Amino acid sequence: MSAILQTENLVMTYRVGKVDVQALRGVNMSIAPGEFVSIMGPSGCGKSTLLHILGGLLKPTRGTVIVDGEDLAAMTDAARTDLRRRKIGFVFQRFNLFPTLTAEGNLRLAEHIHGNGKRTSNDKTRHEVLKLLRLENKMSHKPLELSGGEQQRVAIARAIINRPAIILADEPTGNLDSENSEIVLNMLQQLNRELKQTIVIITHNPEAAAVAARIIEMRDGVIVKDH
Amino acid sequence: MDSLVISNIRQRPMRTLISVIGVALGVILVALNTGLVEGILNDRLRREQGLGAEIEFSRKSGGVLSPQSIMSVDTRYSDRLKQIPGVAIVTPVGRHVQSGNSGLGFEVVEGIDFNTYSTISGIQIVEGRIFQTEDEVIIDRFKAQQNRLKVGSSIQVFGKNLKVAGIYAPEAGSRTKISLGALQNYLAAPNKCTSLMIKVDDPSKQEEVQKRIDAALPGNVVVLRRDLSFGSVGSVPGIKGFVRAVLALSIVVSSLVILLAMYTTITERTREIGILKSLGASKRYIIAVIEKEAITISFIGVLVGLIVAFIAGWGIEKNTTLQIEFHWSWILTAGLIGLGAGVIGAIYPAIRAANQDPVKALAYE
Repeated sequence: MSAILQTENLVMTYRVGKVDVQALRGVNMSIAPGEFVSIMGPSGCGKSTLLHILGGLLKPTRGTVIVDGEDLAAMTDAARTDLRRRKIGFVFQRFNLFPTLTAEGNLRLAEHIHGNGKRTSNDKTRHEVLKLLRLENKMSHKPLELSGGEQQRVAIARAIINRPAIILADEPTGNLDSENSEIVLNMLQQLNRELKQTIVIITHNPEAAAVAARIIEMRDGVIVKDH
Repeated sequence: MDSLVISNIRQRPMRTLISVIGVALGVILVALNTGLVEGILNDRLRREQGLGAEIEFSRKSGGVLSPQSIMSVDTRYSDRLKQIPGVAIVTPVGRHVQSGNSGLGFEVVEGIDFNTYSTISGIQIVEGRIFQTEDEVIIDRFKAQQNRLKVGSSIQVFGKNLKVAGIYAPEAGSRTKISLGALQNYLAAPNKCTSLMIKVDDPSKQEEVQKRIDAALPGNVVVLRRDLSFGSVGSVPGIKGFVRAVLALSIVVSSLVILLAMYTTITERTREIGILKSLGASKRYIIAVIEKEAITISFIGVLVGLIVAFIAGWGIEKNTTLQIEFHWSWILTAGLIGLGAGVIGAIYPAIRAANQDPVKALAYE
């Protein structure tokens, strides 16, 4: 099966003052559709930079990043934004929900952006996602009226509502207690299993990484282990 | 997107309120100023045209609508004018301009010869009597009602308290009149007036009479009073600059308020802009969100501004003799200025938001 996500010799160099800092030193990896992958490593190993590049938020210095057949590295800023709209769903450590909107409003906004002004998800998908994430009764609440775990579930729902090719989760349990962390990780597993959703999470927590079927370990900007 | 725009407007009520006030101020500035200018000029014009004379004779320095107290015409021209064929009656009118009693605008006091003036204009004393001494005036019914004046009340002319001897109707010329002799004495201009009003025998032949006067007394200004017209406010030379200044000031004030409000907003909402970018929102989408918010605020500001301007206009008309006419074209201009200010003011913040680095924006605390 062809990869849904593939990188070749991915290099990212930041300029900090007058010094060049290499965050990625040649990352090669391939992820198949429907895989659940954890990218693990200590702080500063380059995993966040890798996630930002995979999601089109950053342009790499060198190398290729193929997302669902499209080379992100060769794209303009506007084209990467468009690819993000069509194919990527993000989940962040700090949830990043719009505080002024209800959970429903947050989902609608994601649908509006995805559909370029039109709603694109069908009611069946919507119902399925909300049921899976046990959010049916939380839709009228604003983020501050929800617990951390509930907010992260809304964020996951927002990421998946448009059925992206890949979900990229940046430390999704970083702001949660162990009970809510477990709930959120189980839900990601369930989404992967039941909806065949490709999920990539980055974490420095080995327990969180362990829920994935495949763990990629990074150190100093390169992959050191893939198992 | 709409729910995001509305929720942001509701979430920051103080910012929204200040922005609405800023836009409303610009709208009030335009609506009220143009309304006042239009109202004052048209009211004056209406009353001047109601005077009944077909021709006005004056020197180059004076004139019917000249806002000056110039008494440059010798009243003895009256006798020479009466000898010209076609001239029926001639009445001398002196004008003095003073600031309005309410402190707003200006007021013209006319010095007249009541007998000839009333013959031409048809004004009649409806209460009291005509002035008999230099410290007596007559006023029209509108002024009496607006300023709550009665026969025997006193009003300020030349900085002195003069007594209202009578009230006349209908409206013609200025609303306050004194005897021409009194005005000549106050202005130290014996035998002088501002212009001579001429009633012709046959109004259909007024052009011929005008030509005859011109030929008989060259070097003076002889105008047909039916031609007195301001057109629109914007076409009056002196007023044009003033109106332009008001429009420019209004758009600058409103745009700056929106610019500051939206700039503060996007700084506060940096992380939210990062989230929009992570969801795949294009630059155009982000600009549209910011612009929509600014336009919505401006729209509310326009509505509030117009309502306040109408209420203020009603209050001014009720408590002063000033007239306000809100012409639809100026209301439309005020509205467009308010909305335009919103669009212009939000451009820079919107572009700045759209160009933010998504990774830095998402990391913003």
